[in-house]
Amino acid sequence: MTNPRIKNLIAALLKGDCPESVAQSRKLIEGGAAPEEIVVGGVEAAMTALDSKCTLEQFNLLEIMLAGRAVTEVMKDLFPDGEKLPSVKGKILVASLEGDIHDLGKNILKMVLTGKGYAVVDCGKDCPLEKLIDTAGMEQPAAVAVSGLITPVIPLVRQVRPQLGQRGLARVKVLAGGAALKQSSAAQLNVDYVAESAFDILHYLDGSMEAQR
Amino acid sequence: MPKLKVFKDDSMHEIPFTRGNSVRDIIGAAGISIRSGCLGNGACGLCLIEIVAGRAEGLTQSEQLMLSQQQAAGNMRLACQTVPGNDIAVRIVNADARSHWHSLPADRQPFAAGDADAVADEPPQSGMGLAVDLGTTHISATLWDLAGRRRLQGRFGLNPQHRFGADVMTRLTAAGGSVDAAESMARMPLAAISRALFDMCAVEGISPAHVNHVAIVGNTPMLSLLTRTDPGIMLDPRFWTEPVECVSDELEAWVTDLGIASDAAIDVVEPFAGFVGSDLMAGVLNTGLTRRPNRLLIDFGTNAEIALWDGMTLWVTSAACGPAFESSGIQCGVPAEPGAIYRFRRQGEGSGATDIGYDVLGGGQAAGICGSGLVDLIACLRESGELSLTGSFTGAVNGSGYLVQDRRPAIRLTKGDVDMFQRAKAAIAVGVRTLLARAGIRPETLEMIYVCGAFGRHLDKSNAQLIGLLPQLDPGRIEICGNTALAGCEELLLSPSRRRELAALRGRARILNMAHTEDFEQLFFENLFLQPLELELG
Repeated sequence: MTNPRIKNLIAALLKGDCPESVAQSRKLIEGGAAPEEIVVGGVEAAMTALDSKCTLEQFNLLEIMLAGRAVTEVMKDLFPDGEKLPSVKGKILVASLEGDIHDLGKNILKMVLTGKGYAVVDCGKDCPLEKLIDTAGMEQPAAVAVSGLITPVIPLVRQVRPQLGQRGLARVKVLAGGAALKQSSAAQLNVDYVAESAFDILHYLDGSMEAQR
Repeated sequence: MPKLKVFKDDSMHEIPFTRGNSVRDIIGAAGISIRSGCLGNGACGLCLIEIVAGRAEGLTQSEQLMLSQQQAAGNMRLACQTVPGNDIAVRIVNADARSHWHSLPADRQPFAAGDADAVADEPPQSGMGLAVDLGTTHISATLWDLAGRRRLQGRFGLNPQHRFGADVMTRLTAAGGSVDAAESMARMPLAAISRALFDMCAVEGISPAHVNHVAIVGNTPMLSLLTRTDPGIMLDPRFWTEPVECVSDELEAWVTDLGIASDAAIDVVEPFAGFVGSDLMAGVLNTGLTRRPNRLLIDFGTNAEIALWDGMTLWVTSAACGPAFESSGIQCGVPAEPGAIYRFRRQGEGSGATDIGYDVLGGGQAAGICGSGLVDLIACLRESGELSLTGSFTGAVNGSGYLVQDRRPAIRLTKGDVDMFQRAKAAIAVGVRTLLARAGIRPETLEMIYVCGAFGRHLDKSNAQLIGLLPQLDPGRIEICGNTALAGCEELLLSPSRRRELAALRGRARILNMAHTEDFEQLFFENLFLQPLELELG
């Protein structure tokens, strides 16, 4: 049964009201709700609403950032440092590759995926390929998502899949997004998918997780 | 062979085609152009066509993202994504902007800073001169009688390189990928300048062979494409804050192409760095930015360049604004030409029910909204409460946006337009703040702000301040300057002392890459809100 008070949390998250979101989430905990229940019924529901809003109307970066920040705060509050986030759906590695110090897009992806129940491991910006592959080896993610705002990273993006393959990680999906990479096809970049937006990546992942089940 | 029928404006063309080619490729090969901002891979969504007869394969993924449901239901497609198999008829919805040369608006003269006397004792020159501002979207040129220091004619028109993409990155990528593309992009601006020169000379009844001095300023990517500098350099962020040498070894061929005097001097004015072109520096000269400390210059464009003089150092940065300030940026955007709505104003005091009036350049039927109109409209809707602080429409305005004009052409401001504006103005705000912080200048001690670029020509300063596009400063201290790059270029053409001044400034410039700013994301986020700028340095 859905807790009716979870609606208040969803509304606060969609408004991007950080303090109110955390307060509502705490109220739910006090009322006996489990953190996992809040993630599934509240945070994920809010992200779904935001997703369909962005599809129906149009994308507004500030709205996404506001909601994303509120989601991040609630998740931090529910699962403080040391406690592992529940990885219901799978683990995703995100990075901006070496030479690229723009990471706004990557951070938005991280917020969207976290909000929809994926465990996100962030390799940061200006990330050397070696570090990305090593982290993939340790974390065994379902997918690696790289963001690129500048074209010089394209040769690096092309190497991700073969290098994962050499480590026996050929099953890991490679996804690309960002202004520079969006201009190329998946074949040109040697990746599984080139995404238009953070939600586009989400849809792709949800689809491929569904297919594996 | 199957045939493609194309309806464009009042004309019809019939083109036989080979299967497997897109409509864009088929009509392009036949010399019919369509509006486009990318390389034809579905990234820009501008090449709209309507299928009026026949069929093509289903919508591609790009089209599903780019087309609204109404558009898809109305048989609208993107020309680059539509691959017909059999006879088909299409109507071009989004025609290419026309490429002819306009007379230049007389909005800025060289030596406007009030010191025309400064050049009075300079050595006299003779013959004719040509000053050129080579911009990403437009090329402006003026013809000068050098002996009499008189501007004879001025022209501006589109940079024909737009066929390779609307933004510099797309063009540089194309130039890096193909020698033919690089060759075309080097030749196109020269051919355009040549046509403008010929046109001006014809009106004056003189021969281009009298032109013995040419000065060209431009942003660094444009100058690098013109001079065939390795495009890889411009694509590498390390060079954005480093000097990039743009020198052509084909100047003799240029002299022939332009038909100017065989001993003519051609100065491609060297840029300062990858993202600080000689256009910006010409603007710094023209506005007299470095004559007194605490003066700020913002040159609006796809990349807004921002310069701050603190008395010792010229702090410069560049903010990526996307196409928000170009006419191609917003859905109903048009250049500031007859037909453009350039001013909106609220007529009542009430909130909610909209009562917004507007003025059209030239007074006729409205065709779209230009940059100053966009700023006014967003400010009016903020004031009426129909647009929220975060950029969402509220109340009676539904998701598809605010309808300005119902009859054809329908003019509306969409949520996507507002989003694009928010990002652009946030990027500029972070740039201004970063420069002020590095120079240690408190925002309230700013003496002057110069607003440069075609975008600002009709700008309402207080509306721009209301939504955070310009800092909160007494409007009397904000000067709308128009194309200062061209005026500065004219000064460089006419005055050796200005050329020395420019050379001296090279050593004074400090160029900052905002992506290195600590807290960039937080600052950017804070400045996305549609509210007056908060520049307190904290």
